[in-house]
Amino acid sequence: MELGYITAAAAAEAVRKREIAARELVESFLGRCTALNGRINSFIHIFEQEAMDQAEVVDERIKGGEALPLAGVPVALKDDLCYSAGPTSWGAAALKDFHPPYTAAAVEKLIAAGAVIVGKANLDPFSLGFSTAASLAGPTVNPRNPDLPAGDGAAAAVAAGQCLLALSSDSGGALRIGADRCGIFGLRPTTGLVSRHGLCTAAPSFAQVGIAAREAADIELALQAIAGYDPRDAATAAVKEGIPAAQKRSAAKELKIGFPEAVFDLLPEADRASFEKYRAKLEASGAAVVAVELPLFQEALHAYCVIAAAEASSNLGRFDGIRFGIPEAEANMEDWYHKTRGRIFDLEAKRRSIFGTHLLSGENFDAYYRQAQKVWKLVRRSFAAALEHCDLLVLPVAVSPGNGCEAGGDFLASYQEKLFCAPVSLSGLPSLCVPAGDGAATAAGLQLVGKPYEEAALIALADRAAL
Amino acid sequence: MVMEYEVVIGLEVHVELMTKSKLFCACPNRFTTEANSHTCEVCLGFPGALPLLNREAVQKALTASLALNCEIALHSYFDRKNYFYPDIPKGYQISQYFIPLGSSGFLEIEDDSGAPKKIRIGRVHLEEDAGKLVHGGAGDSAVDYNRAGVPLIEIVSEPDLRSPGESRRYLEQLKSILQYAEVSDCKMEEGSLRCDANVSLRPKGSTVFGNKVELKNMNSFKAVEKALEYEIERQAQILRRGETVIPQTRRWDEDKQVTIAMRDKYQATDYRCFPDPELAPIELTAGEVEAARRALPEFPAQRKSRYMAEYGLPAYDAGVLTATRGMAEYFEACLKLYDDPKSLSNWIMGDFSAHLNAAGLEPQEAPLTPAYMAALLQMIDKQLISGKIAKEVMAKVFATGKSPREIVEGEGLLQITDQSELEKLVDEVIAANPDSVQSYRSGKTKALGFLVGQVMQATKGKANPQLVNKLLAEKLK
Repeated sequence: MELGYITAAAAAEAVRKREIAARELVESFLGRCTALNGRINSFIHIFEQEAMDQAEVVDERIKGGEALPLAGVPVALKDDLCYSAGPTSWGAAALKDFHPPYTAAAVEKLIAAGAVIVGKANLDPFSLGFSTAASLAGPTVNPRNPDLPAGDGAAAAVAAGQCLLALSSDSGGALRIGADRCGIFGLRPTTGLVSRHGLCTAAPSFAQVGIAAREAADIELALQAIAGYDPRDAATAAVKEGIPAAQKRSAAKELKIGFPEAVFDLLPEADRASFEKYRAKLEASGAAVVAVELPLFQEALHAYCVIAAAEASSNLGRFDGIRFGIPEAEANMEDWYHKTRGRIFDLEAKRRSIFGTHLLSGENFDAYYRQAQKVWKLVRRSFAAALEHCDLLVLPVAVSPGNGCEAGGDFLASYQEKLFCAPVSLSGLPSLCVPAGDGAATAAGLQLVGKPYEEAALIALADRAAL
Repeated sequence: MVMEYEVVIGLEVHVELMTKSKLFCACPNRFTTEANSHTCEVCLGFPGALPLLNREAVQKALTASLALNCEIALHSYFDRKNYFYPDIPKGYQISQYFIPLGSSGFLEIEDDSGAPKKIRIGRVHLEEDAGKLVHGGAGDSAVDYNRAGVPLIEIVSEPDLRSPGESRRYLEQLKSILQYAEVSDCKMEEGSLRCDANVSLRPKGSTVFGNKVELKNMNSFKAVEKALEYEIERQAQILRRGETVIPQTRRWDEDKQVTIAMRDKYQATDYRCFPDPELAPIELTAGEVEAARRALPEFPAQRKSRYMAEYGLPAYDAGVLTATRGMAEYFEACLKLYDDPKSLSNWIMGDFSAHLNAAGLEPQEAPLTPAYMAALLQMIDKQLISGKIAKEVMAKVFATGKSPREIVEGEGLLQITDQSELEKLVDEVIAANPDSVQSYRSGKTKALGFLVGQVMQATKGKANPQLVNKLLAEKLK
């Protein structure tokens, strides 16, 4: 069995049938985690012992007759998901040596389904960014092409075959852009479908727990395990009585796919051409491609940046050296805060704190924050309106590498990279990033955006269309 | 001529709600001496922990708003008030800044002349408490977060109060209402009710407010009154000198009985309030509001009038009996079993209250239950015991928890009403006190009292005093 290229579903099946012990499976993946990490730098913590112990528990449960959907499946967690077995640093100096006394709800559910956590994946401090360029551990290298940024440590671990699944956060597009860069599938679920309990975030309005996998079917498997009501996250109240049943799945021939022309016009010429190819493939699969409008698409990014910065300035306020981070113990509290926060925050955390503070101060509140909230509401409506004319939307994930400005660009340019992802975050709709372009690392990837709770429809199409 | 000033006072009161748990987590909402023991990842602001709204706190805040005659916002939400201080774990306090749960209410009090006066209440909003700094001897400080996240309501009056006395009565009335509604125990000494006062002076007749000073750190209603009196005099002196009052925050120093400047108002902080993205809005239905309104108890003012009208009690009695809901309910429970309201009132205001205070008990916790109270008073009415013995019996009920009948029978305290037995004693007393007998016969009726007392003493108070009186008077004719 070539374990490096097995699917999560097949691996779990083999463990359930006791063709392979969870211990053997996990041991093999731990070997890859350690062996490749020096080159890829996808993990900042590997649970060598804890993972083996967990695998043993899984073997015992299998012997006990439990039918575990993710039996023995090795999983990476972005290090903003709390897991009580070890440290959770959120990539930040302020949380050095923080061992959370709780485990994120989604992680608990994965473990209950038989998954084994092999490590914590690399990230930018406080998850503020999607390149790992600012990581205290250094950037993650893209397993497909060492010259390109990986975007997301967890996605890189999946792409490198260090694990079969990963949970990673997605606020403005970190998971989707990372999955795109690494050539794998990445799902940002419907807002409120997956509990955010235990997810460290600076942008609570937008952060969701997403899934990365090399196969679309594996995404669905993981989603079934982690979706659903959790009393610890009030946002999941909408699915308290169960997840709304998916509408009757349209056959490929009846599927209507929305292409927002004006959005594609924002792409560079080369990338636009690849989307013409995707359109042709979708049409060849029998689907009808319809034109849709998404007004305020560019303004959505601005609204996202304003709200995310405002929330970051508030959510990061707690890191003041009193409970988290080693303080600069000054007699004057004002000095204490200045010096401590000055030291434990990286450049981006400072930038967002200052920017966010400015946006919420005095008359800026109405001019920017309130205005951004209005745009948010309108963007949500515009997506809902577009989806009245089709079953799902196709959007780019990001400008393809080489056409973008990720390397050494200024921070405003890097915010611009979320142009296609941030509006979807505002919409609250599920989005599946699909590896496309025949596996070429430099191709522009696409995301399928569906109606609320219609993740399965996106996954089915991605499987079928072979983009 | 000395310029006359009008005093303008507004009060901001914070009240801790009596809920089982904190506002956004399951930690118990009760006092403990063990620092940081009632804490969890939510109230300590750990990353990844999400707040969950306690509906009981919303219900209490709704009850308080209705009790204070407020309009209720069916849709309101929580905001974050961002600032840095070690006693707030998250770097912000969760409060209701933009839309308070209750607004445009009022509280009726008596003004200094005793006339009724409505004090407008601007807002009642729900928020979380901060922790507490504990300062060590060596200049170091520690933080106790047990109180962090405890639900509070802030009640802000309009500047309608015109004297320290009105302010004290406003607080007393507020406390009484909130206790009646079982919203809070309102113990200012223990910090479950806290009050800041805004006070300014303006020339009589002026419609423009003078510069305002905020007073903090008053630990009792008395201290609020004293601090206001001091501050009014201080501001009056400044104005009489032709100077200007500096708008600032001042601290009441209980030891020195003065107010001391803390900070000037121009340093006002911008709290950068914005809606908390981690909390869902508070949605109430008109039906829920109506149900809460119907569940409101009868409040002290209404109850007082009813006691006067229905039971013919004097205003003083009615006021004392309705001062707390517990006392009023005790009185009414007794009244169901015993139908002389005035006699009951006398006993409750007198010995019963004294025993409660001595034992630190609430009426409902008293060993002398309404049934026991009724039984005791009925024994007096049936002349089975005297009032004096009844006092002793009540003390013994408080001490032992036994029923009045058990004590009276067990200790042989039943009143002596046997005429022949008493006649014998009366004869003995007349024989032993010829001088008193002489003075009585010569017209000094006061001497009879002495002779009655002698008989009572001989029976250890068990003789029926009316009977002894009658017998003595007959025999001395």
